[in-house]
Amino acid sequence: MIKHLFKLIWNKKKQNFLLITEILVSFMVIFAVFILVVNYYQHYKQPMGFEYDHVWVVNYQSDVKIKDKDSLDVYYKTILSNIKAMPQVQEVSFASSNVPFSANTHMNNVDYKKVHVNRVNYYTAGDAYDKVLNMKVTEGRWFGKQDDAATVKPVIINRTLRQQLFGNGKALGEKVGGNDSKRIIVGVVEDVKAKGDYQEAGLAMYERIDTSSNDGRGRILVKVNANADAAFESRLYKLMASNSNNSGIEIEHLTDKRKTINNTTLIPMIILLVVACFLIINVALGLFGVLWYNINKRKGEIGLRRAIGASGDSVSWQLVTESMILATLALFIGIFFAVQFPLLNVFDLPASVYLTAILLSVMFIYLLVLICSLYPGKQASAILPAIALHEE
Amino acid sequence: MIKLQNIQKVYRTDTIETLALNGINLDVAKGEFLSIMGPSGCGKSTLLNIMGLLDEPSKGSISIAEQTTGRFNDKQLAKFRNQKLGFIFQSYHLIGDLQVIDNVELPLLYRDTNAKERRRLATEALEKVGLSNRLKHFPKQLSGGQRQRVAIARAIVGNPEIILADEPTGNLDSAMGNEIMDILLQLNRNDGTTIVMVTHDENMAQKTHRLVRLFDGSQVQ
Ligand SMILES: Nc1ncnc2c1ncn2[C@@H]1O[C@H](COP(=O)(O)OP(=O)(O)OP(=O)(O)O)[C@@H](O)[C@H]1O
Ligand SMILES: [Mg+2]
Repeated sequence: MIKHLFKLIWNKKKQNFLLITEILVSFMVIFAVFILVVNYYQHYKQPMGFEYDHVWVVNYQSDVKIKDKDSLDVYYKTILSNIKAMPQVQEVSFASSNVPFSANTHMNNVDYKKVHVNRVNYYTAGDAYDKVLNMKVTEGRWFGKQDDAATVKPVIINRTLRQQLFGNGKALGEKVGGNDSKRIIVGVVEDVKAKGDYQEAGLAMYERIDTSSNDGRGRILVKVNANADAAFESRLYKLMASNSNNSGIEIEHLTDKRKTINNTTLIPMIILLVVACFLIINVALGLFGVLWYNINKRKGEIGLRRAIGASGDSVSWQLVTESMILATLALFIGIFFAVQFPLLNVFDLPASVYLTAILLSVMFIYLLVLICSLYPGKQASAILPAIALHEE
Repeated sequence: MIKLQNIQKVYRTDTIETLALNGINLDVAKGEFLSIMGPSGCGKSTLLNIMGLLDEPSKGSISIAEQTTGRFNDKQLAKFRNQKLGFIFQSYHLIGDLQVIDNVELPLLYRDTNAKERRRLATEALEKVGLSNRLKHFPKQLSGGQRQRVAIARAIVGNPEIILADEPTGNLDSAMGNEIMDILLQLNRNDGTTIVMVTHDENMAQKTHRLVRLFDGSQVQ
């Protein structure tokens, strides 16, 4: 019977071509949507790797005139200890401008022996940075006083970068970077999703901030108590203003920044989803219409099949199966195109994302076609054979 | 073979009620070739559809091949039609998107017949109607008479005991009509197939064993 239906479809290829194209196009759109959704979801499933509640970001522009290194060191450390002295403050640390959930990124390469890794996020961090964000140190340690006298600059890397540089080998004590800028790895931390819930953590390398210079700073991260309120915020503001000539001070909460950055990643997806929804509705209506039209056009055939031995159920089964065969043909072509993405590595995404997206899209299309053909099929089975034959 | 008792058929639409058949009693013997005549709209097709289990009577009972079919469900009716009955229509009702051979195989698709056997039986049936050289043609590439012969091949491929033909020669000129009639007569004579045929043509009707005339839904002779 299936072979018979194939023959019927093949002999009607002209009429079926349009329907197959329509299913194919909707498959490709759904595929694109699912790539995005699966990708976001896989990132979303990963733990954040840090805590952002009750963490505030103080932005300031330091135009300090102090030139002497020791005085500068004292000046910056005083600011930190003044903030830390406030009763609502638990931890405080300097940070570079690419704090979590900010739009700023500092990217660079890292070399280790023959391994060359691109697109590594560079962070400059103070000694309490890990405590402010409650990051997890999995190997070695975070920065501390013992690094003051270091001859080789200490760095800390995240788990993913550690994996890429060293695999399962030893990381602590290894030196990375070019000859003139060698750094030694003193710690490994858990990945931090610094770009929000839906973006991957990526690769990260943390350097210790140098409080005797004006470079690599610009933000102060403050972990406050749950009871820290607006009154406290304005006192913190005043404290900062008196310390840095009141230039460009701004206090943000990481919880707010998280919402903002999540929105900027989600909004394109939501727009795409809405567009896709309209397309799907369009396709579904089209499909439904074509199948409906087919049944009315094929009333004679339906009546005849009933007369020569088809039950109502087998007529509706036939029509649904025909649609499913058409969907299968369209999906064959669609999958052929879709597998090119992982094969050619088009978007630098893991193959699992594409494969999951293909699987979900295939199921979606089958479901869509099934739903669109069930009702017309049911309707066809209810046609009385005598009337169907009469109307031809 | 076919026994109709007190058959009545009423068509109801929103506004009108048509009494298409009224008090029909009819016995068709095994191996009989019966023709039905009557003016247009008198209920000939309705009667044939009821005999073919394509339509239900409003009243009365039918038994075909010793079976009372009134309580059959849809599946049983379909199976019964498939195994016992063959249909021939005035407008052929061939599937335009299928080749001649596939059209003829159609009834066998609703049985457990394998592909090879289907092909063999269909070819045989087409030989019987003299169309063994047109297997791969599509219906639109055939003349009216040839199309009706394909339809006959389809009706006999499953070797049914009864053939129901509704004006099989109605769309054909008299030469072609006679050809079709000859095939039906042969089937009746050689294979013992019971045939009930609706016709408008006295000459055709004269060639059959018995003639039943309908007028306004009732038997007149
Ligand atoms: N589905 C239907 N709904 C309502 N009335 C119907 C239906 N089918 C047939 N009729 C009516 O029943 C009567 C008998 O119709 P039928 O088709 O049996 O006539 P017929 O003898 O075959 O005519 P013809 O020689 O023109 O084919 C007609 O009056 C017709 O209008
Ligand atoms: Mg008629």
